[in-house]
Amino acid sequence: MNKMNGYKVKTFLGKFCIYLILLLFALAFLLPFFFLFTGSFKTSSELFSKPFHWLPRHWTLNNYRQVFTKIPFFRYLKNTMIIVVVNIIGALISNSLIAYGFSRLRWPGRDKVFMIVIATMILPYQVTLIPLYLMYSKMGWVGTFLPLTVPGFFGNAFYIFLMRQFMIGIPKELSEAARIDGANEFGIFSSVIIPISKPALASVAIMSFMRAWNDFLGPLVFLGNDRLYTLSLAASMLRSNLNPNWELLLALGAVMVIPVLILFFVLQKYFIQGITMGGVKG
Amino acid sequence: MRRRTISMLTALAMLTMTMSSSVYAETEDAAAAENMKTVHMGDREIQVEVTDPGIKGNFTYWSCFTGDSATWDQERIDAFNEAYADLGIQCDVQFVPDGAGINNGKLLSALAGGTAPDLLITDNPTSAYQYVAEGSFMPLDETLQKINLDVSAFFDGCKDVMYYNDTCYLVPQDTNVIMLYYNPDIATECGLDPENPPTTLDELNAWSDAMTVQEDDGSYSRFGLIPWLDSGNDAFVIPFIFGANPYDKETGKIDLTSDQMMKYMSWVQSFSQKYDPEKIGAFTSGLGGMFSPDHPFMTGKVGMTITGNWFSEALRQYAPDVNYKVCAVPVPEGGRANSTTFGCNVFAIPANTDPEKAELAGLFIKFCEQGSVNEDNFTQWRSIPVIDAAFDDVGLTKDGDPMYLLERQIANSPENGIPALCAVSAELSTQFQTAREQVIYSGADPQETLQALQDTMQSQLDAK
Amino acid sequence: MNNKNKTSRMRKAEARNGLLFILPWIIGLALFTIYPIASSLYYSFCNYSVIGKPTFVGWSNYTNLFKDKTFLASCKNTLYMICIGVPITTFVAVWISIFLDSKKLKHTGWMRVVFFIPTLVPTVVACLLWIWVMQPDTGLVNTILGYFGIQGPGWLSSVKWAKPAFILMMIWTCGNQIIIYLAGLQDVPATLYDAAAIDGAGFFRTANSITIPLLRPTILYNVVTLIIGVFQWFAEPYIMTEGGPSNATMFYSLYLYQNAFQFFKMGYASAQAWIMLLVAMAIILVLFKVFKFNQPEDQ
Repeated sequence: MNKMNGYKVKTFLGKFCIYLILLLFALAFLLPFFFLFTGSFKTSSELFSKPFHWLPRHWTLNNYRQVFTKIPFFRYLKNTMIIVVVNIIGALISNSLIAYGFSRLRWPGRDKVFMIVIATMILPYQVTLIPLYLMYSKMGWVGTFLPLTVPGFFGNAFYIFLMRQFMIGIPKELSEAARIDGANEFGIFSSVIIPISKPALASVAIMSFMRAWNDFLGPLVFLGNDRLYTLSLAASMLRSNLNPNWELLLALGAVMVIPVLILFFVLQKYFIQGITMGGVKG
Repeated sequence: MRRRTISMLTALAMLTMTMSSSVYAETEDAAAAENMKTVHMGDREIQVEVTDPGIKGNFTYWSCFTGDSATWDQERIDAFNEAYADLGIQCDVQFVPDGAGINNGKLLSALAGGTAPDLLITDNPTSAYQYVAEGSFMPLDETLQKINLDVSAFFDGCKDVMYYNDTCYLVPQDTNVIMLYYNPDIATECGLDPENPPTTLDELNAWSDAMTVQEDDGSYSRFGLIPWLDSGNDAFVIPFIFGANPYDKETGKIDLTSDQMMKYMSWVQSFSQKYDPEKIGAFTSGLGGMFSPDHPFMTGKVGMTITGNWFSEALRQYAPDVNYKVCAVPVPEGGRANSTTFGCNVFAIPANTDPEKAELAGLFIKFCEQGSVNEDNFTQWRSIPVIDAAFDDVGLTKDGDPMYLLERQIANSPENGIPALCAVSAELSTQFQTAREQVIYSGADPQETLQALQDTMQSQLDAK
Repeated sequence: MNNKNKTSRMRKAEARNGLLFILPWIIGLALFTIYPIASSLYYSFCNYSVIGKPTFVGWSNYTNLFKDKTFLASCKNTLYMICIGVPITTFVAVWISIFLDSKKLKHTGWMRVVFFIPTLVPTVVACLLWIWVMQPDTGLVNTILGYFGIQGPGWLSSVKWAKPAFILMMIWTCGNQIIIYLAGLQDVPATLYDAAAIDGAGFFRTANSITIPLLRPTILYNVVTLIIGVFQWFAEPYIMTEGGPSNATMFYSLYLYQNAFQFFKMGYASAQAWIMLLVAMAIILVLFKVFKFNQPEDQ
């Protein structure tokens, strides 16, 4: 009895400490957003006034109104969504396949080839941009969404690496069992490995979303017409040459964060599903 | 700190110059017929001159303008398209942030891939000049002649950026003037006479000392002047006004170790030794920069600052209650008194543009040089035309605005110019700023640091 | 004999299948990757301004780099971030993830979102927020330090403190890694936790002896991508400090960017990129080998 109580207190204290640490960190992570959201309702002169006010004295929707009128927000959103959705689909299909080939199957030289995959992540875009552009312009792709979407169907080293790391952890016995049941390799991939890899797939989906959502240089360089611009370019289209219009940027930041937050909440449920499905290794 | 924002601010000006049609009338010939037309620009009706080149077509134009400035440029383009609709000439614009993609690889890619526009305007003349040196823009003399745009009367100082090896490549749409802004209330409070602002470096230092307030705990609540604030943060603005010639076009020599340059550097160094530069950083690392009520001049944390005409607009918007006056930047002995550097937005036509398209693009340049197209922008930003005669038609001149009169007076100094334009200008500016920071923050020896930089850059230049 | 044949046939089939699965990557490599990579390698031996034609100059770009003070400064700063910033960020991210994943805690779902949202903000806006956070006199960090009677430094305007400020920002944007750690933690079997609980192991002992070792492939992934990220880090220092003050925040890719797009030295920049490729690969190989993270436990 005594022992029981002691244990409970211990875990209660432990829980309390962990909560406290998490809360403190969460607060630290959140404060800039507090500034972002409240700032987006402030007038430009109040935004920088000293002393600093936590809440706007005069709430204004003007910044949001300007974001929606000064740039073709919904057109940019539509363009962004097209690119984002195509990229997610491409990333999910191609990277899971490729990662499977790099983790669940043995073939000579596999790990050396995998090092080439890693190497392709390292070269910065600054030195590959010009040859890529020359290539795309010869192919007639410049000025279309193609350079921003098609390569997504041929794997991305970061996601291949990520998926591979997950698939390596899945016990071999699961595949063997399916093989004995007469499944072919693709069957094992699609009916055994993919369902287990849901958390990793969700990570890839989120990351490719983020990549496409935030990609600035790709749309800027490859889209020939500003009608095709994406939301990531909106920030630089909003600021005037002399006046950075910080208050508008804050409103834009808020607007760009909200849809992603919603999406993330949806996928968050998916993660929890992943948890309940756990016990893979049993 | 955030050099980019500030250098961007200096490098650009939003307006075009006012230029009466009489300026061109002198050179008018039969090659192109001109007449006046009334078109809409925004919600105004304006008189513009239309030139018939005898050819039709569209041309593509990359504008570096974004936000409100893009709205203004769009109005200008609409006015152009309205004026030239009958002649079958049209401008197709694309707004490309970051100085028309001049520094982020977009313009480079397009030039390499043969997909560059027929015309572009950029707010980064230093980089534009380097593109010229690399051979990526078209020589404009012939085009300008065809469309009757005479640039010979442009201020000599602007010609520094327009010409490379005596050939015209870039056409500025307007220019800026650098001045000393000071707060007359603070001056009076400190026993200084606001009607007699400093003209020499010694006087400037005396003013600065008088205005600086140190608290009991050793911290500073106000500085007179921070030499590396605002335009002081640009590479060569103040060194040039102090009399230095960082690059000599005639001899092709980079000179960062002249007496005048050393005078400038030891002046900067004296501030960093007297006051802890990181403490000064607390004053200058404000969030909003110039366009927020956070700027130290607006909050009364500095009594003076050296910057361009556009700052008056920032003051009007964000600190209408702060008193200010302007004067020419004070100089040491041997400096360029009552002078300025010119910062301009420049038009350029990429090399390999079809000659007919280039001519149409030239028409747009000519259109944009007209005063009627941008009178209200002059009023807003106080930037100035690139020809003295054009001042007469500007509303501010007609109203006898004292600051604008001073700007005109400074603009006419024969010593004005745009320093350090050469085949390595972008790197030279960046590295010079870093060298100065090493002197300010790390206590490096100016002579040694600049000599090393000069040698490196000179050898790069010679290798070109 | 028969058996051996069968095994070798199966091996062949497996190898064929393996190549089939990675076929998209091979095609992508051939179509979109080899040409740009080979070009950049060629440029690294050339004097190339992009506008003109490349002219071959041998090793001089490489030898000049090691005489270039700005380049050496950028290497030093990048090394600082890899040796100090990456371990700190990884430590924080791993522990936050373990805390968040702890089955005993309820209501941590919203916190996962909290830790992730910083990565959703457009870079320009994030930089604006951080300039605000790091303001010397009224910024968030110094205000909080002030509560404890500490006078905070000038952060971004300080030669000494600018890099730590960037490390704080790096931690702030570790949401991506937390997500991946959380997904990785789903792979740790619940039975192991139960076993540990029966043995009377506390939370931290369980985490140290069971969770973290099992998380190794994920940690390896995150550390490797983080190191690559540091090498390629560019937008934040570009917007917030332009490499200043006094080159204190001049990072590898920032200087590379300046050379490529601002100074018209694409050949020089390419040489920089290839040095980076080699160095990063060496670091990554060491990580793979020394920690034996690479070896799947049962394959």
